[in-house]
Amino acid sequence: MLVVNGLKADVGGKEILRGLNLEVNPGEVHAIMGPNGSGKSTFAHVLSGREGYTVTAGSATFEGQDLLALEPEERARLGLFLAFQYPVELPGVNNTYFLKAALNSIRKSRGEHELDAVSFLRLIKDKLKILHLDDSLLKRAVNAGFSGGEKKRNEIFQMALLEPKLAILDETDSGLDIDALRVVADGVNALRSPQRSMIVVTHYQRLLDYIQPDVVHVLSKGRIIRSGGKELALELEEKGYGWIDAEGQAA
Amino acid sequence: MTDLTANGFGSWLVDSVSHADWLDDQRRLSRAQIGEQGIPTSKQEDWRYTSLKGLLEQCFTPVDETITALAPDDLEDILIPGLDSHRIVLVNGRYAPDLSMPGEIPKGVRFDSLRTLLDTDPDAVRDHLNRPLSALRAGVEDEPQPLFLALNTAGFDDGLVVRLERAAMLERPIELIHLSVGMDEPRVAQPRHLIILGEGAQAILIERYVSLGDSIYCTNAVLDISLGCDAILRHERIQMESANAFHLTGLYLNQDAGSHYQGVNIGLGARWSRTDLVTDFRGEHARCELQGLYLAGDRQFMDYHLDVTHSVPRCTSRENFKGILYGRGRAVFDGNVVVARHAQKSDAAMSNRNLMLSESAEVDTKPQLDIHADDVKCSHGTTVGQLEPEMLFYLRSRGISAALARRMLCLGFAGEIIQTLSSELLREHVSGQVGQRLESAPLD
Repeated sequence: MLVVNGLKADVGGKEILRGLNLEVNPGEVHAIMGPNGSGKSTFAHVLSGREGYTVTAGSATFEGQDLLALEPEERARLGLFLAFQYPVELPGVNNTYFLKAALNSIRKSRGEHELDAVSFLRLIKDKLKILHLDDSLLKRAVNAGFSGGEKKRNEIFQMALLEPKLAILDETDSGLDIDALRVVADGVNALRSPQRSMIVVTHYQRLLDYIQPDVVHVLSKGRIIRSGGKELALELEEKGYGWIDAEGQAA
Repeated sequence: MTDLTANGFGSWLVDSVSHADWLDDQRRLSRAQIGEQGIPTSKQEDWRYTSLKGLLEQCFTPVDETITALAPDDLEDILIPGLDSHRIVLVNGRYAPDLSMPGEIPKGVRFDSLRTLLDTDPDAVRDHLNRPLSALRAGVEDEPQPLFLALNTAGFDDGLVVRLERAAMLERPIELIHLSVGMDEPRVAQPRHLIILGEGAQAILIERYVSLGDSIYCTNAVLDISLGCDAILRHERIQMESANAFHLTGLYLNQDAGSHYQGVNIGLGARWSRTDLVTDFRGEHARCELQGLYLAGDRQFMDYHLDVTHSVPRCTSRENFKGILYGRGRAVFDGNVVVARHAQKSDAAMSNRNLMLSESAEVDTKPQLDIHADDVKCSHGTTVGQLEPEMLFYLRSRGISAALARRMLCLGFAGEIIQTLSSELLREHVSGQVGQRLESAPLD
C-alpha cells in the first residue's frame, strides 16, 4: 500500500529525514517510535503534503501512485489521513459544514454522489457514538475552544467519517490523560480493518498498550534503525532511547 | 449666490421646490457652505486616504423624474424569498408606491414619504430637518456641515419618514430597499431618511442598496435617527450597489437615556463608497453597537468613518469592523471615539480586523480614542493579516480544495459579523453573496 524508499527531506536547509525506508501493507498497524527531533513528525507531514519541507531524494508511493507529486487534498482523496498532533482551531468555520465539505469532496473525487443533509446527519450521528462525543460538537466551530482531549477525539471522529485507507496518527497520545487516551484508542481500534492500514507515531510506549501494532520501528536521526514486533516497544521503554542509539552507533 | 460649480458638485443641485421658509433657509445655508469649503483634499484628516477624483470625473445630475415603468415582477431577483417585512421601495431615491408593500401598520407607527410630507405638512418634520445635524459630530453649533451632508440638505427631495410613538412596537422588520435603475445620464440620488422612535419604542430596520444593471450612478443618502428614552432599534444595512456605482451614506444618530442601537453595516458593492457613522448620547445608560463587514474586491474602494461621542456619563459603545480585501481592493477604517470630560464611567471598545487575500490589496486603519474623563473603560485594537497556512493545510488535508478552503476560512472570519444579523434569511442571503464574490475573486 505505502512504499517509502530512501526518503530524504530538509526543513529550512537542515536535513531531517536521511534515507527513510518503510513498507506498509493493507491492514497493518505500524508504530514509529523515536526520541524528540528524530524526524517522526516531519515524516508524517511530508507524507501528507504540508508546505515547508523539501524532499531532496527518495520516493513515496501510495497504491502505486507517486504521493510526493500530489497536492494535500489529492492525497486525502486517495485515502490518506493525518490525525494532527496539534489540531488547528478554525474560528467561525462550523464543524458540521466542515465535515460535510470534506466528506463530499472525497466522495465526489471517487465518482460517488454527494450526501444530502439528512443522510449526512444520520451518518455523523452514528460515528459520534464510536468516539463517545456529544452532538453539541457539531454546532461548534472546528476545534475552537476545544479541550486537548476533545481536539484529539475530533481528529479520530473525522477519521471515522472519512474512512481512509491509510491513517497516520501523529503523537495522538500527547497531552492526553489516561481516560482520554483510552477513549481515543478505543476509537482507533474500532476502525481497524483488514483493508485499513495505520502508522502510529509516538514518543511513548503507553499508547501501544491500547493500540497493538503489528510492527514497531525505531526512528533515529532521520532513519529507521531498527524494526521488530511489539516487544521492541517494551524493550525501548525499559532501556530508553539511549540504548538503541548506542547500539546503532556500535553497528 | 456662491458659485457651486467651483468645487465640481454644481451639477448635483437644481433649484428645489419651496415647501417652507425654514427649509429654504436651510438649503440656502447648505449651498453657501458647499461653495465655501471647496473640494476636500488629502490634507484634511477626514479625507486623508480617500480621493474624490473618480467621483469628480463624473457629471452627475439629480434624478428629476419618477420612474414608473417598473412592475413588481422586476423586483424578483432583488427580494429575499420568505422575508416577511414592511417593504418600502425607493427607485433612484424616490418613493415607489407601486413597488412598496408596507402591509398592515400597527397603531402608533407611521411610514411616510418625505416628499409627500413636505407637500402636505412640512412642519411635522421641522424639528428634525431644521437643525444642524453636523453639530452632533463636532459638538459645536457653528461648525459647517461636512460637504456631503450639505449637498444632501441642499438637494434631497424624498426619503422615508418612520415615526413610532411612545411604546409602539413593530414586530416585523421595516425593509427599506434603495433600488437604482440605470438612466441615459449618470444620476445622483440624495434621499433623506428620518427614523424617529419615541420613548420605549422598538423596531428593526433593514436597509438594502441594490441595482438593476451595472450602470454608473451615485447615491448620497443621509439618515437622521433619533431614539427616545429606552427605545431599541436594530438597524441592518446591506450595501450591494452596482459594480460601477458611487455610494455615500451619512448616518447621524442621537440616543436618549437607556436607548439601545444595534447597527450592522455590510458593504459589498459599489466601486467607490464612503460611510460616515456619527453618533452621540444625550442621556445616560444608552448603548450603541456598530458592527461592520466590508468586502473590498478588485479595484473596489470602501471607506468607513466612525465618530462616536460619549458626551454624557455611563454609556456604552462597541465598534467592531472586519474587512476582507482582495485583488487591488482598498479600504479605509477611521474610527474615532471621543469621551468628554464629564462622561465618567463610559465604556467603549473599538476593533478593526482585516484579512488580506492579495499582495496588492491595501487598508488604512486608524482607530483613535480621545479621552477627557478619568474614570472610563476604553480599548481599541486593530489587525491586518493573511489566511494562516496551517488552517489552509488542515482543511486541504481533509480533501477540501485550496479554493474552497480559502472561501471557508474567509466566511468563518466574516461569520462573526454576519451572525449578528437578526434573521436567518438575511444571514443566508449575506453569506451567499459573500461566498459568491469570493468565488470569483482573483487569486494572486
